[in-house]
Amino acid sequence: MVQEKRVSYMNKKALSFIVVIVLLCIATIYSATSGSIQVSFTELVNGLISGTNNDVQVIKDLRLPRIIIAIFAGAALSVSGVLLQSVMRNPLAEPGIIGVSSGAGFMTMLMVSIFPTLFFFTPLFAFLGGALAFFLVYSFSWKSGLDPLRMILIGVAINAVFTSLSQTFHYRGSYTSSMVTEVTTSTLSMKKWADVEIMVIYGSIGLILAILVYSWCNYLALEDKTAKNLGLNVNVARFVISAIAVLLASVATATAGLFVFVGLLVPHIGRILVGTDHKWLIPFSSLLGALLILLSDTLGRTIIAPNEIPASIIMALIGGPFLIFLLRKSDRIYGN
Amino acid sequence: MEINHITYSYDHKVNHLDDVSGKIDVGKVTTIIGPNGCGKSTLLGIMANNYVPLKGQIVMDGKSLITVKSKELAKKISVVHQHNSAPADMTVERLTSYGRLPYKSMFSSNKTTDKEVVEWAMEQTNLIDKRNKPINTLSGGERQRVWIAMTLAQQTPFLFLDEPTTYLDIYYQYEILELVKRLNKDQGLTIVMVLHDINQAIRYSDTIIVMKNGKIVTQGKPKEVITKSIIKKIYGVDVSVKEDEQAGLFTIPIGI
Repeated sequence: MVQEKRVSYMNKKALSFIVVIVLLCIATIYSATSGSIQVSFTELVNGLISGTNNDVQVIKDLRLPRIIIAIFAGAALSVSGVLLQSVMRNPLAEPGIIGVSSGAGFMTMLMVSIFPTLFFFTPLFAFLGGALAFFLVYSFSWKSGLDPLRMILIGVAINAVFTSLSQTFHYRGSYTSSMVTEVTTSTLSMKKWADVEIMVIYGSIGLILAILVYSWCNYLALEDKTAKNLGLNVNVARFVISAIAVLLASVATATAGLFVFVGLLVPHIGRILVGTDHKWLIPFSSLLGALLILLSDTLGRTIIAPNEIPASIIMALIGGPFLIFLLRKSDRIYGN
Repeated sequence: MEINHITYSYDHKVNHLDDVSGKIDVGKVTTIIGPNGCGKSTLLGIMANNYVPLKGQIVMDGKSLITVKSKELAKKISVVHQHNSAPADMTVERLTSYGRLPYKSMFSSNKTTDKEVVEWAMEQTNLIDKRNKPINTLSGGERQRVWIAMTLAQQTPFLFLDEPTTYLDIYYQYEILELVKRLNKDQGLTIVMVLHDINQAIRYSDTIIVMKNGKIVTQGKPKEVITKSIIKKIYGVDVSVKEDEQAGLFTIPIGI
């Protein structure tokens, strides 16, 4: 009986992984072949190899970069959510909600506006901004322990401040008013292979590091005292995991713009499907997050083509009701 | 293990422990008792190096506790806390295996030893049948045994328990205490625990430390320490202390 249960549990986990991987492959192919220019899959492959098909060349220059960025940004933001939730032991911790993303966004915009020549260092500025926001939230909410409620309230406040700072900045520089949208939403159009490079390099580093620290995330799910008595250096673990989370969120924000909600929704679904063990939760969340953002972006640019709806808006539109549905349906939050 | 002139304060205003000294005998069961807020859990926390004392030190194997690295310490002392939490889908076996953390490093771990020790720990706590159960499906007593199994997997010579029986009904209370006693007798573990029930302390301890207002009032064998006058002084309760052939020494409150 017990054995049976365990087998079915393992199957559910394996099945979830297989389904998400298959869906991600299908979504990638669909996304690459549809839109304002439509080609078949074979045409696409042949064109990429031979380099003689003009349609495919356009797809390669315009569509592939945004697909890759969508995949990596989704993975990065979701894993960032998982990590922040484990560090703060709070299911509401999410880079968008507690201000890490808006901090990263603001700092990037500020520095690039002041020193336009330093565009190459965008990820660094984003990281600094994200880290600043996280540090502020963490230190203001620390009072002999992290009170979950206080942390979220302070996070919301910090987020509001950075978001308004960004908006102020944009309204002042009205000549760039077309960029205003980028502060609050995300458009993945006009992404170049240079952006892909940044996203893939830093994103991969962050994701690999996240997988390496999975056991720390597991131990932090216990009480601090318990983890400490097991010999875990709780402060070091928290610091390292937070830094990885901020790196992931910042680089995603710097290249793909602000996405709220992914880091909240994806880990929640992940816990229902593969459980709370971070050994599975981290890889699964990265796949599911990639799938969700890619789907949102693909929908956004195909529903009312040639016009576009930003991926973050689609994401929130689908994600909001879905999260409510999940919360109504399950009686557990964060597995407690 | 020696407790040398420990002073500690949570807020730097009131001393919650005031120049406390005492001794823990290796291979024995020592129980700390005293009224709420007397500092018993604080003292246990300092002995586990969870708090750093303002003055004084805990000496173990001739070394001051604060100089010992946290992983090394986790091979010497394991602690069962009063409040514990873990994700709901955590299974018995997985939680028990967390006790192997001090023996793991980033690049190496001895999987066979780990597995054997986890098996042994679950056996000791009678949890083999429940190994794949999520802990939130277990009874309070079983759950407490899982936390003990985790500490056993640490293979430490010292085991500390902070009010291990508090949330349990009487059957599970005695089940836990019998387990602790067996671990002391069979495995030679040095036990230090905080208890509320004086009669349980008498029955299961070699030594009792009595505390009040951040100080140790007295320390000694149950028969020496548990007297009418000391209980009155500590708790403000009048008791009758009796000895019975079957029950041994016991106390019954008769008024305040």
